[in-house]
Amino acid sequence: MSASTQRLGGRVNSQTAINLLKSNPIFVAIAALAVVTSFVEPQFLTGENLNNIIRQFGTLIFAALGMTLVIMAGFLDLSIGGIIGLVAVVTVTLIDTVGQGPAILIGLSVGLGCGLLNSALIISSGALTQAESLFITYGMSLVYGAAALMYVQGVTQFLTYSKTSIALFDTINSGGIGFLSVSAMIFLVCLAILYVIERRTYAGRAIVLTGGNKVAARLAGIPISRSIVIIYSVSGVMAAIGAVVLVSRVTLADPTMGTPYMTQAILAVVVGGTALIGGRGSVMWTVVGTLLLILLNNCLNLLEVSTYVQYMLRGAILIMAIWLDRVKQTSVSK
Amino acid sequence: MNARIIEVSKTVLALQKAFLAIILVVLAMAVFNMIPATRSEFFSQVNLVDLLKSSSIFLILAMGETVTLIAGGVDLSIGGLMALTGVVVIQLINAGVPIPVAIALCLLLGLVVGAVNAFVSVYQRTEPFIITLGMGIVLTGIGLQLTDAHPVTATDQGFQSIANTEIFGPVPILVLVMLAVVAVVYWMLRNTSFGRNVYAVGGDYEVAKYSGINVLRTKAATYLICSLTATLGGVMLASQLNSASSIAGDNTPLYVVCAVVVGGTSVAGGIGGAIKSAIGLVLLGILTNAFSMLRIDTLVSYLPTALLGIIIVSILWLDSYGRKRKREAV
Amino acid sequence: MVVASAPAALLTINDVSKAFPGVKALDHVTLEVRPGRVHGIVGENGAGKSTLMKILSGVYEKDSGEITFDGNVIDKVTPVESMHMGLAIIYQELNLVNTMSVGENVFLGRFAESGGRAGVHAKARALLDSIGCKVDTHKQVSELSVSDKQMVEIAKALSFDSKLIIMDEPSSSLTNDEMQKLIKIIHELKAKGIAIIYISHKLDEIFGFCDVVTVMRDGHVIDTRDVSSITRNEMISMMVGRTIENEYPPRPECAGETILEIKGISTRKLRDVKLTLRKGEILGLVGLVGSGRTELVRALFGADRVAGKSILLDGKPVEINSPKDAINLGLAMVPEDRKLQGLLLGFAVEQNISLAVLARLTKRGFIDTKGESSISDRQIKALNIKTPSGRTKIRSLSGGNQQKAILGRWLEMSPRVLILDEPTKGIDVGAKYEIYLLMKKIVEDGGSIILISSELPEVLHMSNRVNTICDGRINGEFDPAVASADEIMAKAFEFA
Repeated sequence: MSASTQRLGGRVNSQTAINLLKSNPIFVAIAALAVVTSFVEPQFLTGENLNNIIRQFGTLIFAALGMTLVIMAGFLDLSIGGIIGLVAVVTVTLIDTVGQGPAILIGLSVGLGCGLLNSALIISSGALTQAESLFITYGMSLVYGAAALMYVQGVTQFLTYSKTSIALFDTINSGGIGFLSVSAMIFLVCLAILYVIERRTYAGRAIVLTGGNKVAARLAGIPISRSIVIIYSVSGVMAAIGAVVLVSRVTLADPTMGTPYMTQAILAVVVGGTALIGGRGSVMWTVVGTLLLILLNNCLNLLEVSTYVQYMLRGAILIMAIWLDRVKQTSVSK
Repeated sequence: MNARIIEVSKTVLALQKAFLAIILVVLAMAVFNMIPATRSEFFSQVNLVDLLKSSSIFLILAMGETVTLIAGGVDLSIGGLMALTGVVVIQLINAGVPIPVAIALCLLLGLVVGAVNAFVSVYQRTEPFIITLGMGIVLTGIGLQLTDAHPVTATDQGFQSIANTEIFGPVPILVLVMLAVVAVVYWMLRNTSFGRNVYAVGGDYEVAKYSGINVLRTKAATYLICSLTATLGGVMLASQLNSASSIAGDNTPLYVVCAVVVGGTSVAGGIGGAIKSAIGLVLLGILTNAFSMLRIDTLVSYLPTALLGIIIVSILWLDSYGRKRKREAV
Repeated sequence: MVVASAPAALLTINDVSKAFPGVKALDHVTLEVRPGRVHGIVGENGAGKSTLMKILSGVYEKDSGEITFDGNVIDKVTPVESMHMGLAIIYQELNLVNTMSVGENVFLGRFAESGGRAGVHAKARALLDSIGCKVDTHKQVSELSVSDKQMVEIAKALSFDSKLIIMDEPSSSLTNDEMQKLIKIIHELKAKGIAIIYISHKLDEIFGFCDVVTVMRDGHVIDTRDVSSITRNEMISMMVGRTIENEYPPRPECAGETILEIKGISTRKLRDVKLTLRKGEILGLVGLVGSGRTELVRALFGADRVAGKSILLDGKPVEINSPKDAINLGLAMVPEDRKLQGLLLGFAVEQNISLAVLARLTKRGFIDTKGESSISDRQIKALNIKTPSGRTKIRSLSGGNQQKAILGRWLEMSPRVLILDEPTKGIDVGAKYEIYLLMKKIVEDGGSIILISSELPEVLHMSNRVNTICDGRINGEFDPAVASADEIMAKAFEFA
């Protein structure tokens, strides 16, 4: 009974990895695509290209990691698009007045504040279904986006126009020790923290239990509201970190720059195999899911498939991933 | 019959929330008009007709969304479908396809999209909101690919006359089409077996099933209807502007769903109606119009967008909170 | 048997059986129902009444046997088909769409055939008038009283020209006046030649207006008799009959002092309930479904928000506003619905067991996973839970082992007060006995238990003291060592 000896349905060991590959055709399809690409387009395996992959990975992964906990608890957060835009403009505009370090800290606090506000709205309205959380956070995305637009009057803010030092941003973008870039280090630290939270801490367990069965968890004394506060706060902070990394890379801040990340983050989580209904999954699998998505983009770019077709494919993969997971679950419960 | 009268007045009272809000906005605008500093063109005929025209597309889309929401589903692909339809209809016409054939092909496209939505979300029992969100992305992607992300313009000038020909004074065909869609959906929801089954399915899925209603087919049909109205909206929008953009529908689904909820249709299903949704849309339309007439954006740019966002979140919050109150009362 | 001159049977149930995993719900049931008669069916919870009704209406499929209705053999019908055949069921949880109007509910799914809006309301009006119900057909069902909703259900049944109407405990939430109205309607329906199956717990009703009564127990039909030829005591004996002594371990002794005292809990359902529990005691709580027994323990445990509540623990007043508060005070509850309220099906046995002590296993935010495994291994061993390992998903275990795991969850925190709501429901005999032994061990270790069970013998054999609850009120206290099952049952059925 290999499937049943799995802990929490997500510990990465060889047996579960094989099972997951078997039950996740999207994994296999993308892997096959990567193999094909490396034959057709020898450029694929060059160091420069791999570097490129890791850079793209850097922006999406933070949002996706935060989203993983939200989805594991059986909720959704569509506000991260707005949060990323808001944090980006706040951070960049504050550099000259408060200095780069404090600006980043304020940016992260804005992310945390947005997350707390989301959870307050969800708890106070009793929006316990995924659909309700989706609508409310979608609406909040508009609010955060509009706040960002109002704040900078819709004008794109260039990092390079700063009168004071932006060395910190340069370091985040291009600094590093050996082969490890600074953003990669930030990512590894975040991943480690979230993984430990998810696997080892009470808070993490409470989150998956909330996603598993809210009623039973509550009757056994698990604090549901606290889990909601934690997931949305983490999601907000992770989106904010993603925003800072993004700003460092593209050296500008635009109120609408976060929009694509909303659906991509969900996509990365779902492709990784975390169930949309909650209770199952892991940030580790989200790393795999994100890598696969970036890999897919990269392969398609090298094969000169248009960016618009790639955009379309994202939607198609989202539908397929959820549908296939549903089919799998139905066959398990039979 | 006394009870009937009470019942009717109750319905009116329930409507009144959105209704009352419309009246308040209009009154406020009247007051602002008396002050020279804030005098606007709000009550001018041009503005009122504009208001009607700009609300019409959303109203057409909202009718289909209302049917889906009442049945307990949701369709977030209407924005992508609307935009894609506009692109496709113009490209077909520019390629020499006769206008009626082009429109018919677009409606067919709508049916196909609706069928896919219905198949995956209803028959495969997945959560409709993410499935249709994904479908919206697919459709937008197709539109981007078809147009290379550029707006397209119809070369045949006859196309724009479909929506814009003015019949009753300054009222164009577009508004009449909208009124026709509202009337048809109103009649269908109230007076056909299908319409009543939609309420039953959304109100209590199990009871509807045990009453012999084909719940799956009824629910699936609502997705087809929703896609059809989105397609019609797309054709009308393209005709109205004589051009189309593949990203025209980005915020449309949320705006429409919220407006429908403002009108009193619940995202939990079972409750709602065509007129209610229309009132909700008119309210949001009037608000947006009033913001722009008062030139609020000159005070702080993008303030109207923020206000609209806050209004939308408040409405959704109240919708959830109402259900929470009901749950705890039991 | 039924009087010879009776008309031919409308419904014949012949040798019907139905088994669910681990339970034989119906065991060779044979029954006849004749037109123009009110046929009462009585039995304890779990006697098989509901299963039988669900087979008749097509919700379940029978395993074997034959059912004939109105001359047709019913083999596999859908609920709709059975309605169109003239067999209508009025369930306890009413089958109406709350968001729709009265008229439309009567003709649900038949809007156009019934003449559209005007036709539906006119016809519904006529049907409601025929049973003397004055409810406006345009009114939304959610605004009706339970009694009026039942009238709408009856009108719905009549709209199908039903020949047989089955009423499943219709009186459970009716006031006296409403009940009188229902009785009047039953008499009218009877006069029209319609047969009625009336399922009830309340013997008064059976003797009040039923012609024939069938007593069921443990999936068997014990007997079918004319009401005029049976006495109350006979009926009660038939219902509770079975007692097999060695199914239960010897009753534990108890002489402790009061540990928990409910000074008063009032809700919509409960009327100033008072209760005391002593250390080392098993207190049996006997009441019918809907009597308020589950509401009482849920309110005590903080699972439902309750305004008026006063509880003393060790003589000191305590505030319990959430299950977490209750757990911190040493209370534990095994809820009624194992699947929905107890289990986390997608999780490992180990994680299901550690749930209640998770906070204790946590040091500075971190869960001691080694401790978690050893706790679960200990409970798996102590409770003899049959599972390949603690990491197996609990979904794949049998009902009895799942229940033992939930018990293990609470035992690990050594609860001072353990609430058991139907702890042996749907569990095989062997596992039941193990659960009884466990209960005994808990009280011997100084814990106390509140036991809710629909199985009277279970309560009688395990409890030190029995309280009956009826209509949201504690209405009797018994010493099960001396009181008879009939006495207690009579009190729970509220007549004495």
